[in-house]
Amino acid sequence: MSEPVLQCENINRFFGGIHALKGISAEIQQGEIFGLVGPNGSGKTTLVNCITGFYAPQRGQILFEGKQINGMRPHRIAANGIARTFQNVALFKGMSVLENILMGRHIFMNPNPLAALFYPFWAAKEEVAHRRKVEQIIDLLQLESVRDEHVEVIPLGLQKRVELARALCAEPRMLVLDEPMAGMNQEEKEYMVRFILDAQEELNLSVLIIEHHLDVVTSICDRVLVLNDGNKIAEGPARTAMSDPEVVAAYIGGQAHAA
Amino acid sequence: MFYRLSGVRHTSYPAARQLWPIAADRWQVGVLALLALLAPLLISDLYLGSYALPWLIWTAAALSLSLLMGLGGQLHFGFAAVMAIGAYSSIHLARGGVPFEFALLGGGLTAAVIGTAFGAAALRVKGLYLVMATLAMQYLVDWVISNVPAISGGAQATLRTPEVSFLWIPIDSLDARYYVALLWTVLMTLFFLNVKRTSFGRALAAIRDKDFAAAVIGVDPFRTKLTAFMTASFAGGVSGAILAFCYYGAVTPEQFGFNVSIQLVAMVLVGGLGSVVGGYLGAGFVLLVPIVLTNLIAGLGAAGWFSISQNLTAHLPLIFYGGMIIGFLLFEPLGLAKIYDNIRKYFLVWPFRHSGS
Ligand SMILES: Nc1ncnc2c1ncn2[C@@H]1O[C@H](COP(=O)(O)OP(=O)(O)O)[C@@H](O)[C@H]1O
Ligand SMILES: [Mg+2]
Repeated sequence: MSEPVLQCENINRFFGGIHALKGISAEIQQGEIFGLVGPNGSGKTTLVNCITGFYAPQRGQILFEGKQINGMRPHRIAANGIARTFQNVALFKGMSVLENILMGRHIFMNPNPLAALFYPFWAAKEEVAHRRKVEQIIDLLQLESVRDEHVEVIPLGLQKRVELARALCAEPRMLVLDEPMAGMNQEEKEYMVRFILDAQEELNLSVLIIEHHLDVVTSICDRVLVLNDGNKIAEGPARTAMSDPEVVAAYIGGQAHAA
Repeated sequence: MFYRLSGVRHTSYPAARQLWPIAADRWQVGVLALLALLAPLLISDLYLGSYALPWLIWTAAALSLSLLMGLGGQLHFGFAAVMAIGAYSSIHLARGGVPFEFALLGGGLTAAVIGTAFGAAALRVKGLYLVMATLAMQYLVDWVISNVPAISGGAQATLRTPEVSFLWIPIDSLDARYYVALLWTVLMTLFFLNVKRTSFGRALAAIRDKDFAAAVIGVDPFRTKLTAFMTASFAGGVSGAILAFCYYGAVTPEQFGFNVSIQLVAMVLVGGLGSVVGGYLGAGFVLLVPIVLTNLIAGLGAAGWFSISQNLTAHLPLIFYGGMIIGFLLFEPLGLAKIYDNIRKYFLVWPFRHSGS
């Protein structure tokens, strides 16, 4: 593999007295699927939030394609080529599936109110051009049947897929997925895995995925990083890392704790 | 019956993006446009001048505010001040010899600049503080206009609009003034409809709905909201100028006071946030209320049923607006437009009970 697309160096994040990330370092290689695992509350979402600019780490730095991105605001990071989905679906409620996915094209569009004034000459062409790209992604993720539905009325599994479609429409070079399969049944999970693999292959993406289901992690991730209580407790090829005794212990402890 | 979605099939992306994909809607719009064009022939000058004309202009103003409040989710309790800036600056420009068309543009631009400056300050704060910041704008602008004779027009504080012409047609008759107002309102309506289907409108809606999700796909929240302030202020400024030139004929600071700002908020909320139909219905409703109330009270007073003081009568409309705002927020947050939409949906699937979507 070539040089890393994403480098996290010594990331520290505090929330008041809570030390949520205790000096985490990680490197994600171009084109790989990198798993981020660990029990609830271990800091996975916090790390992803630092990467996508929701808050900056108090210490440490994050480089994307060699460029420092910690401290950048989320929309700048998006423009630099990182797209993400959320643990709890974050779609725009008032909009249709199509409009939600079209939002993913925002960074390529010109959000100028004058475009609306001269709609037929200015905006119409742009809208139609982007619509073509959107339809490609709709095809890829098989969302044709719900294209014109309002997002609230479709099942959760499909909502998560729409969110993935929205992220893909931004043509990111790196995709960050926060528990894309949470709350899904077995069939929906299998579909989702398929779509993530398809998208990764077709669009040549690097993927950072937070995932709970161990079967999913071992079957799709090239490498994983295991967090526990803000510490890195293992890193490496999925199978090896997941069978590490410390990881097994943390997982059993974490599950028992969660239950 | 005539209202049918079946048979509406799109075969190209542009066709699917039409403003009115249903034939019956297109007919409705066509008939309304025709009625609006022929209004000077159809109704008496009294109705044209004291009902149709103000209704159109206030609709344009309500749509301007709805752009910010409805699409952008930003409250503004000083929008009358924005209109005042547009009105006063366009009058001064026209009196200085600037052609009317450019005076209107200048009024809009001045309102946009000042409105955006206040918006930038207001956007640093949220919720109730945003309300306070826009209220501050209202009082500050009121104060400046009243206390600077160069703006307000001297001791009597009444500033007459000069004779103007629009595209070489002198605006000296009621009909001419009506058509100028109609042109502006139609322009505002089309603009509003188009905004909703362009990336600017979607970005605004996205930020209103989930700002973090909007940011993460590349929407700059501050810039987008500020653009909304600028656009709404420009449109509000021009609406204020049109109101001054085509309806009032002379302006005083009271015409753009705090109560007018409340009236505008009521128009937007009662009509329906972010809805074009709502802009028309809200403005019409809010304008009719004081007339109906005053007549009702006068009638009841004359019949000797009861009488209330002059002072209270003057405040009744405001009390009523307050009640309407609260009532609609509680029971029909989507306003009259939603009620209209329900009726339309009913006919869309008639004789069946429910629409599929
Ligand atoms: N915005 C926040 N404010 C305060 N504490 C937070 C915040 N976000 C996360 N935390 C804390 O940081 C720790 C890690 O949380 P999180 O990253 O969400 O875990 P995970 O995604 O691995 O389940 C938890 O103890 C959580 O309570
Ligand atoms: Mg999490």
